[in-house]
Amino acid sequence: MEVNVIGEALKFMVLGMGVVFIFLYVMILSVKIQAYVIGKYFPDKVPASTPSPATAASENAEEKARVAAVIAAVTEFRKNKS
Amino acid sequence: MKVKQIFLALLFVCAFMTTAIQASSQEHQAVPATATAEEGSVKHAYQPKSLSQLAVSFWETTGLRAIFDTDDGEMAIDPSGKSKPMSAFESSLGRIIMILIVFILFYLAIAKGFEPLLLIPIAFGGLLANIPLAHMTGPHGMLGVIYNMGIANEFFPLLIFMGVGAMTDFGPLLANPKTALLGGAAQFGIFGSLVGAVALGFDLQSASAISIIGGADGPTSIFIANRLAPEMLGAIAVAAYSYMALVPVIQPPIMKLLTTEEERKIQMGIQRKVHSREKLIFPIVVLMLSILILPESTPLIGAFAFGNFAKESGVVDRLSDTMQNALINTVTIFLGLGVGSKLAADKFLVIESLGIMIIGLLAFSAGTAMGVIMAKIMNKFSKEPINPLIGAAGVSAVPMAARVVSKVGSDAKPGNILLMHAMGPNVAGVIGSAVAAGVLLSIFK
Repeated sequence: MEVNVIGEALKFMVLGMGVVFIFLYVMILSVKIQAYVIGKYFPDKVPASTPSPATAASENAEEKARVAAVIAAVTEFRKNKS
Repeated sequence: MKVKQIFLALLFVCAFMTTAIQASSQEHQAVPATATAEEGSVKHAYQPKSLSQLAVSFWETTGLRAIFDTDDGEMAIDPSGKSKPMSAFESSLGRIIMILIVFILFYLAIAKGFEPLLLIPIAFGGLLANIPLAHMTGPHGMLGVIYNMGIANEFFPLLIFMGVGAMTDFGPLLANPKTALLGGAAQFGIFGSLVGAVALGFDLQSASAISIIGGADGPTSIFIANRLAPEMLGAIAVAAYSYMALVPVIQPPIMKLLTTEEERKIQMGIQRKVHSREKLIFPIVVLMLSILILPESTPLIGAFAFGNFAKESGVVDRLSDTMQNALINTVTIFLGLGVGSKLAADKFLVIESLGIMIIGLLAFSAGTAMGVIMAKIMNKFSKEPINPLIGAAGVSAVPMAARVVSKVGSDAKPGNILLMHAMGPNVAGVIGSAVAAGVLLSIFK
């Protein structure tokens, strides 16, 4: 039996491109659903995470103030001692 | 008291000697070849040779004779241990041609900068594979060992996919998911060239293996070629990797031909910010989809998803770092040398290779063209402008194709940065070609 190979190849093409597009289309849909669900029920954590460097900076400032206070106290103490 | 000690010592000596004798007799049994040698010492037979005899026997082992004496009956051995006599052409002129091709590849890699990470190991593997008499591609040669270790069993392509997964940022795709369709359109390169290959006279199974070059994905090509047409693996892998290296040469003319100056100047908006949880869940979503729709493609997509999940989980930085650096680099060296071993004259210089190279080029061009056309159509119907150039990135050569798109875009209009927009179709192309590979496997299972 003579097989029409070109016809077979064209059938492969229809099947292949169809499956690729269906797969990617379903993927796009699920990505959109996922983005919607996450956006709605798990609000962006970004603002929650950004304060951390800010608090670190403020802690730093506090620490500096404390060190300054200690130095000032020590110099005062030494002055009184002499 | 003393007698007892002496007796014990004697006992020990006896015990030791019996075990030693047993051991030596076992040795004799294990190595029957030395049975002629007496008392365990091996003597190699040697007959005195005159100086001229020595010179002749040395001449017979030189590469000069192996190359220029055409009827020396040299055997070509492949990694599975099969050997066949080489033809006069293969053992002489063929080798010289292949070595010249290797030098051209060196030139392209070093002077032109085409994917040197791939071309240098492949070309050097090709150089080693064409050495006469050394049998490097045989089952005990370096290249043959590498080939059997990870290419014949499809292991290296999966490791590469794991590393690519760990390097891929799906952010651009998640920000603009509809660009994934461009990655699908570019897979037309695979199926369009399948028709072309059949028309050229390849049978359906070989044609499918060849057409996967259109996916522009080295690991996928090796994976499929191994399953569908292992005898063509060398030429297919070499074609896939050389065209991936030639993306900056092949793509721009096609892109410019199919777009107008105005279209190339289209600027695309800023992408939305993608939540880290979206990125975390995405590899699992893709894997689930491929489990449901196309389990045949899960070796590739599974490895890819694992790499990406390890990266996005954020808690195994050490593992993801290894996958995207140390592991993928190591595997690239082996993969390159292993693929290069197929550049041996007796395997590569066959008429099929020429057909494979031509179809590969057609496949690549068709994929690029279809991606651009699809992007033009989407641009017509989309609310936000889509620069048709990003369609060309749908062929999955990551990230080369996206960089080429960005370059052509900024040539048309300085400051037109398309890189991130092109990454979306680019990574979708990786998924698309893995899916296409799964479809081809499902046809011939």
